[in-house]
Amino acid sequence: MNYNWFSILFRFVLLFSLQVLVFKRVNFEYGLLSYAHIYVYPLWIMLLPFKIPKPVLLIAGFVMGMSVDFFYDSHGVHASALVFSAYIRDFILRIVEPDIGYDLDQPFNIRRLGILWYISYTTLFLLLHLFFYFSVEVFSFVYFYEIMLRTITSLLFSSFIVFIFVLIINPKS
Amino acid sequence: MRNLLLLILKYGSTLLFILLEVICFYIIISFNQSQGEIWKHSTNLLTGNINQRVQNTSDYFALEAINDSLLTENAKLLEAIINYRVFSKENEFQTYENLDSTLIEYNFVPARITNKTFNNRNNYITLNKGYQDSIKIGMGVVSSHGIVGIVRSVSKNYCLVMTILHSQSRISGAIKSNDFHGTLVWDELDPQSVTLINLPKHAEVSVGDTVITSGFSTVFPYGIDIGTISDYSIESNEDAFEVDVKLFNDISSTTHAYIIKSNKQDEKIEIELEGSDEL
Repeated sequence: MNYNWFSILFRFVLLFSLQVLVFKRVNFEYGLLSYAHIYVYPLWIMLLPFKIPKPVLLIAGFVMGMSVDFFYDSHGVHASALVFSAYIRDFILRIVEPDIGYDLDQPFNIRRLGILWYISYTTLFLLLHLFFYFSVEVFSFVYFYEIMLRTITSLLFSSFIVFIFVLIINPKS
Repeated sequence: MRNLLLLILKYGSTLLFILLEVICFYIIISFNQSQGEIWKHSTNLLTGNINQRVQNTSDYFALEAINDSLLTENAKLLEAIINYRVFSKENEFQTYENLDSTLIEYNFVPARITNKTFNNRNNYITLNKGYQDSIKIGMGVVSSHGIVGIVRSVSKNYCLVMTILHSQSRISGAIKSNDFHGTLVWDELDPQSVTLINLPKHAEVSVGDTVITSGFSTVFPYGIDIGTISDYSIESNEDAFEVDVKLFNDISSTTHAYIIKSNKQDEKIEIELEGSDEL
């Protein structure tokens, strides 16, 4: 179980910096798009190795979430969403499992698993993450319509960025 | 213990997940204003409801204590009113802002009725105060609606009260508007009405007038309500009215009463006995 710790740490710093320094400032001011926000930091949890112990995964989600929260002044909201996403990552992986199956000892190999797999995995992951996040942010299901609106619009942009991200940096570990 | 460890091993990640989420939500609620407000509001709705129910239940158990304290409070208020009334009646040319405790002539002891009769020829009630609470024979008893009777015998914790509905009951009553007075007796028929006899022929009587205690005896202070005049008649050869008085106080439905202690009773009886000796 040799993880490429450097690569994991590098992705943490990169995604975290992009999130709080760049994407935090992005605001769309056009109709429904004003509901959209770009969240790329969940990609860090998505790309952690398959066989990482679940408690470590959960704590990783908590740490990343809290770090983002410090910059968003939304104490605990991102953390709770990312802990939730980390917890359900196994279920998501099982849902989108391709016919050839996962090579559990290897890191994510997107060439092997295919770009379609990658898109469906990240989209499903982001969908659940964003839905949870906006629910906690609003903190009341009275605004279900608004939560869904925010989730869908944010999902469009976030997935797009995540997709581009993987073209630039092909994660090997 | 081993089972606990196994449980933690098996569901460790789920437990950690729950723990982390609890921490997150604690942070969210503590440090975010809007979520905190929603949390407080929601929990208030829930706990408010529960608290209300618990309060209702505990209130029910506390009713007896509350009743007692209200009774004592009532006794205090009644005491103040009666003493003030008596005092201002006796000193009509002076006005007093407030009553000094040395001027208080009557004390009120609240009591609960533990037993009563009202259909017999001679009716008694039992109160849960006895000589332990320095109740003595001859003290007057009133309720919030009016007069009840006079203490006839006392034990350690209880006293027996001869009610106004008793063949031997003689209580001095007066018409409120003009102070003509007579004696109240019970005609042994209706537990809701008594008869006022010995009311002088020249008294002005009209149906609906209020009858109160005259205050001539030390048993009852001046001005306690008794009832209203429902009917009156005078025999041609008599020199006194016979007036039917409908009682304010329905003894059959009364549950609490106040025993009146008069601080000047002994003194007054003493001087009145001296007067009768000389005769």
